[in-house]
Amino acid sequence: MINLAQKDIAHTFGKFIVTAMGVGMLLGIVLIMIGVYRGMIVDAEVLLTDINADLWVVQQGTLGPFAEASRIPEDLKDTLKVVQGIDKTTALTFQNIQLPRNTKPVRVVAVGFNPFGDINPVNPARIIAGRNINKSHYEIVVSEKTTFQLNNKIPLGRNIYRVVGITKGTVSSGGDPLVFISLKDAQELQFSYSNNRIRNDRARGIKNVESHVVNTVIATLKAGYSPDLVAQHIRDAQHKSVYTHQQQRTILVKNLIETAAKQIGLFTAILVGVSTIIIALIIYTMTLEKMKEIAIMKLIGIPNSMIIKMIVQETLLLGLLAFIFGNIFSHLIYSNFPKRVVLEAPDALSLFFVILLASILASFIGVKKVISADPSTAIGG
Amino acid sequence: MTKPIPTEQSIRVEHLVKEFGQGENLLRVIDGASFSVAKGELVALIAPSGAGKTTLLMMIGCVEEPTSGKIYLGSEKVYDNKWLTSETRKIRREKIGFIFQAHYLIPFLTVLENVTLLPQTNGISKAQADEKAMELLEYFDIGEKANAMPSELSGGQNQRVAIARALANSPEIILADEPTAALDLSRSVDVVKMLKKIAVDQNVAVIMVTHDDAMLPLCDRILKIENKKVISLTTKEVSHV
Repeated sequence: MINLAQKDIAHTFGKFIVTAMGVGMLLGIVLIMIGVYRGMIVDAEVLLTDINADLWVVQQGTLGPFAEASRIPEDLKDTLKVVQGIDKTTALTFQNIQLPRNTKPVRVVAVGFNPFGDINPVNPARIIAGRNINKSHYEIVVSEKTTFQLNNKIPLGRNIYRVVGITKGTVSSGGDPLVFISLKDAQELQFSYSNNRIRNDRARGIKNVESHVVNTVIATLKAGYSPDLVAQHIRDAQHKSVYTHQQQRTILVKNLIETAAKQIGLFTAILVGVSTIIIALIIYTMTLEKMKEIAIMKLIGIPNSMIIKMIVQETLLLGLLAFIFGNIFSHLIYSNFPKRVVLEAPDALSLFFVILLASILASFIGVKKVISADPSTAIGG
Repeated sequence: MTKPIPTEQSIRVEHLVKEFGQGENLLRVIDGASFSVAKGELVALIAPSGAGKTTLLMMIGCVEEPTSGKIYLGSEKVYDNKWLTSETRKIRREKIGFIFQAHYLIPFLTVLENVTLLPQTNGISKAQADEKAMELLEYFDIGEKANAMPSELSGGQNQRVAIARALANSPEIILADEPTAALDLSRSVDVVKMLKKIAVDQNVAVIMVTHDDAMLPLCDRILKIENKKVISLTTKEVSHV
């Protein structure tokens, strides 16, 4: 039996492929949109996963340090060490800063930590050049996204920092590159005022600001202790907010990127809808172009089922090819996006089934046209 | 219930009526047409434009439903004030070959595929359909074009392919709607002679709608729609048409 769809596509192969590529680019954008969402989740969890702390202790009544400002005394890390079940603690600071880079500064999130402390937030596996910080001052580990090289000198505040290490894939929950500096340097940057401000404050009788402040203290637990129970004990005894690893993850994923995720989700839904309409319009146009042939086929006795099969097969093939082109397109361009784009096979598979459904729906319009085609229009009067 | 008709008659129409519209807008185009066409006969159907030639052709071809009357195709009564089968398309597929003003070949099928499409749809194997199609294409001197696309053929060659397609399902009837309208006199004569040869060789009844008086002497008989009825004329009466 002659396969009409195969013959028709072969006859207009170039046009069919270009059409599929066009729809495919649209589907590629859909995949990228989903990838951006996935990237946001991965970015949000990078630091959380690298640090892998059991508890995050922050200022009472805040969601800090990622969602809200939090200030707690640095010595809380020593206080917490005597709490039953706590194994290791360390204090961390987080701050947004601009690193001067030629004419265009680069926005980064600086993590301050004690290089000699119990917990080191720099994942050694992420260091692709140089080393971690091993001095108390003026060393910095930067993300490769900042484009700084080893031994570059970066002026920050009153001092100049030397790049001693470069990491790969380290970004903040907002997608900005991460840099790591010592806790002392970070406290000086975040909590110390300029000399002029200090002079003015003294003249007005204001005491110097306490700089031994951090944004959070993180802790790991000894084996066998429940994070929830230890967290509750700290809440009761220290009047601080305490979040377990899972709670901190929820704060990051739900509170911080939920709105952005909904926005991307809505865009994705609209794009899928637009793709469906475009496929339907293409099939409608392709069917319209063949109305004379369809009328002739009906007139000479070709059954509707054979003609409908042609329309449905062409629609499904268009959807399939567009899906393949969309995947190729998205994989070709995703690395050029400034923020992380994560393309995952399950997302692509889901999109495949959506497009399959959309193609079937789109083919209805062509099928309706076939059924309504009047065979008598094939005969001139 | 089918009613046998004489074997030599391939088409018989009795008291056929076709009306369009209703009420004050009712228009009766055909009013009690009765005629028959025998196997091996080439009959021209003539009438002024708008007189209902194509409508009559479409009713015989089971495309347009008559208002009343009877239609016999071969040994089968297909219409008796209503279609006697729900599958008029099957009747077209199995009993009728259509030839149009233009060739109307399927542009995305090769010459051979155009000719074998209908037989294969009727359940004939590809090998058998190909063999029969090649015989027909050779018969019309276009066997070497079997694998060409219609766009690669001349108008005359395409028309011959269209005639081969009409014959591919071994029809009992061929309905030709102005097959010479787009051709010059010489080619028109060739096509009508070809239709005559087909009628005789394949033993089929051929009804050919034409406006070209020069083709009438080549036909066996002429059916003329006059005052909404069909009258039968011999070719000797052509000069009076």
